[in-house]
Amino acid sequence: MKKLLVIILLSIAGLCQFVTANAQTAEKQATVKVSGEVTTPLELKLADMQLFPQTIVSRKDRDGKDHTYSGVILATILQKAGVTLGKDLRGENLTKYVKVEASDGYQVLFALAELDKDFTDRTIILATQVDGNPLAAGDGPFRIIVQDEKKPARCIKQVTTIKIEFAK
Amino acid sequence: MRPLYPKTAVILLLLSIVIFSGWTYWLKTIETGPYQFVYPANFGNRINIPNDNQTTRQGVYLGRMLFYEKRLSANNAISCSSCHQQAKAFTDGTVLSKGVDSVLTSRNSMSLTNLLWTRKFFWDGRASSLEEQAVFPLTNPHEMGQPLDISVRKLSETNEYPALFKLVFGDGNITPDRITKALAQFERTLISCNSKYDGYLKNTYKPTQDELKGIALFMNGPDPEKGIRGGNCAHCHGGVKNYMELFHNNGLDSIPKDIGIEALTGLSADRGRFKAPTLRNIALTAPYMHDGRFKTLNEVVDHYSDHIKESASLSTFIRGESNDKGGTSLNLRPQEKKELIAFLNMLTDSTFINDPRFSDPHLSSTLNKTKNTSK
Repeated sequence: MKKLLVIILLSIAGLCQFVTANAQTAEKQATVKVSGEVTTPLELKLADMQLFPQTIVSRKDRDGKDHTYSGVILATILQKAGVTLGKDLRGENLTKYVKVEASDGYQVLFALAELDKDFTDRTIILATQVDGNPLAAGDGPFRIIVQDEKKPARCIKQVTTIKIEFAK
Repeated sequence: MRPLYPKTAVILLLLSIVIFSGWTYWLKTIETGPYQFVYPANFGNRINIPNDNQTTRQGVYLGRMLFYEKRLSANNAISCSSCHQQAKAFTDGTVLSKGVDSVLTSRNSMSLTNLLWTRKFFWDGRASSLEEQAVFPLTNPHEMGQPLDISVRKLSETNEYPALFKLVFGDGNITPDRITKALAQFERTLISCNSKYDGYLKNTYKPTQDELKGIALFMNGPDPEKGIRGGNCAHCHGGVKNYMELFHNNGLDSIPKDIGIEALTGLSADRGRFKAPTLRNIALTAPYMHDGRFKTLNEVVDHYSDHIKESASLSTFIRGESNDKGGTSLNLRPQEKKELIAFLNMLTDSTFINDPRFSDPHLSSTLNKTKNTSK
C-alpha cells in the first residue's frame, strides 16, 4: 500500500514537472521580422534590441499626456539588414517604402526617405519601453513611435513585421 | 425481333446526336474572355488576384459549376454551397456545419462577400489566397472530406468537366491546382455593393432617423467628456466595405475554448484572437461569432455594450471603452442599440443574394439540356 502511494506521488510529481516544462516551452516570445528589399533578413527578439544604441523620443499619446519612449532608431535596424539608406538612398531606391504590420493585421507605410537622417531630423524609433517600463501587453513588446507626428495612427502597436518593398 | 433492331439503332443514333448537339450548344453558350470586375470606385483597387490565376469568364463559369458540385465531396452530397448558401449571403444559418462524416466543423461558416479585396482567409487568417483556402474545406474530413486526387478522378469521368477545363486552361487535364483556381475565380466575383448603405454613400438613398443615428453610433468612439456617444464599431468594421482585415480578441471569454490565432503563432497575445469579419449582409448571416454563439444581432450588440470579458489578450480598443464617465462598459441605451441595428440592416444587399450569376448553374444547365432535347 505504502509502495503504491509512493508510486502515485512520484508520478504526480513527474507529471507536474512535465506540465511546467511544457508551459515554459509554450510561452513563445514575440519577434519582429525585417524582410523584403534587404541583404540580411532579421528576426529580432526583445533582448536583441539591447544590442543597438538606445534613443529616447517623447510624444503625446491618445490620453493627451506626454510620454517618454525608448528604443532603437528604425533606420539603424534597417541598416543592419542592409537596406539602401544614406548614400544609397537615391535613384530608384527613392521609390521604396517600409510596410509595418502589427499582430492584429493593422498596416502602415513610411516612404524609406522618411526614415533617413540625411532627409529629415524627425526621429522614428522602434520602441520597447514607455516611461522606463516595458510597453503594456496590448501595445508591445514593439511599437513604432513617430516623433512630432500629429496623429498617433502610424505609431503602430504590437509590431510583428517590417517589410521593405519597391512601389510597383 | 430482328426487324426492330435497326430501328432501335437509328433511334439511339438520333438521340445521341441530339444530346451531343445539345451539349456542344451548351459549351458554346459559355462566354469567354477576360472577366471585368464591376465595383464602385470607393471600394478601391487593392485587390488580391494571384499572377498565375487571372480571371476569365470561362474560368468563373467553371468555378461556379465546381462551387455547386457535390461530386467534390466524399459522399456526393455536399458542395461548397451547402455551407455557403447565396440566400444567406453565402453562410448556412447553423452554429457549426455538418460535414460528410456528420461531425460538426470547429467554427462557424463564413460569409463569402467581397473576397476580391481579402488577403487573409479563415477566422484565423491562415490562408493568403482563395486558391490556398479552398483546399481546406475540400479535404477536411469534417467538411467535404475528399482527397483532391479523387476529386480529379471523379470529374475526369464526367462528360462535361474535361471539356470545361479545356475551355478554361487550354487542355482537358483536370488537376487539384486547376480545381482550386477555378473556384477562386468564381468566388472573386461575389461582390456586394448595392446595399442601402452604398446608396447612402452615393447620395441616392436617404436614411431614416434611426439609420442616421445608427451610423453615428457605429462610427464614433465614446467620449463622455465631450458628450459623444458611440460604439466605436468602425474601428474594426469601418471603411466603405465594412471590412479592414483586422484580428482581435473581442472579449467573448476570459478563458477561450478556441484559442484562435494563438494556435498558429504560439503567442499568448494572440489568445482568442479572430478575424473581425465583414459586416456586409450581416443581417443575413446569423448566428454570429467564430463559434456561432449569438443567435441575433441584438445579442451581438448586447455583448459589445454590456458583456465584454476581461483577459490579458483582450483588444485594447475594446477594454474600458465607455459612454459613461468612469464606466467600464459601453453601456448603450436600448434605443441606441435599436439604432445601431437599423444601420446594420442597411448593409443587406438584396441584389447580391438574388443575382442569377451566383446561383446554382447545374439547375439552369439541366433546364437548357431539356429544352434542347425537346426541340
